[in-house]
Amino acid sequence: MPRARIGNCIRRLRFERGEMTQEELAARAGCTRQTIIALEQGKYVPSIELAFKIARTFGVTLEEVFQYEA
Amino acid sequence: MSYQTYRLWKALVVIIVAVLVGWATPAGYAWVPLPAAAAAVVIMLLIRRGVKEVVVDERIYDIARRAARMAFQAGVLAMALVGATLLALSYGDYPHLETAGFTMVYTAAGLLVIYLISYACYSRKLGGKE
Repeated sequence: MPRARIGNCIRRLRFERGEMTQEELAARAGCTRQTIIALEQGKYVPSIELAFKIARTFGVTLEEVFQYEA
Repeated sequence: MSYQTYRLWKALVVIIVAVLVGWATPAGYAWVPLPAAAAAVVIMLLIRRGVKEVVVDERIYDIARRAARMAFQAGVLAMALVGATLLALSYGDYPHLETAGFTMVYTAAGLLVIYLISYACYSRKLGGKE
């Protein structure tokens, strides 16, 4: 069975919103800066709750931030 | 307080407790480690209160969970194998190894029992029943 991958465009969304820093996003989403770094590098897949928090921080839908690549 | 300052304080507390325990036990103050560890926990909780940033999140818990699982699997396997080897040797030329062998084997078995009980509890808590 091929491994599914969850991609994201957090980095692009941060820069589209006035170059929001990783610290700022982490503080608003309620996670650590290291988690944001891991997400941007594609090393970590967040929980549904954190995914919603990040999407809400950017004011977009979940699928505009995270993409399911089967 | 920033996260960096928090980490500095955390390292300092760990070093102080380690030095205290390292000094107290050989010096004959065997009661010192317990209050020292308790005081360290209280101090760490107080320090953590002062941190404005998020210190622990789901990724940290995920890492801890994976590390604990790996440590458990490796630990139980090693204990069972070493324990069985010691028991096998104790039936031959090394009878004095019997106690150590039984201790290790029973400890491994005990850990597996704790694992099974915990698994059943979490399975009930998180659903999964048909």
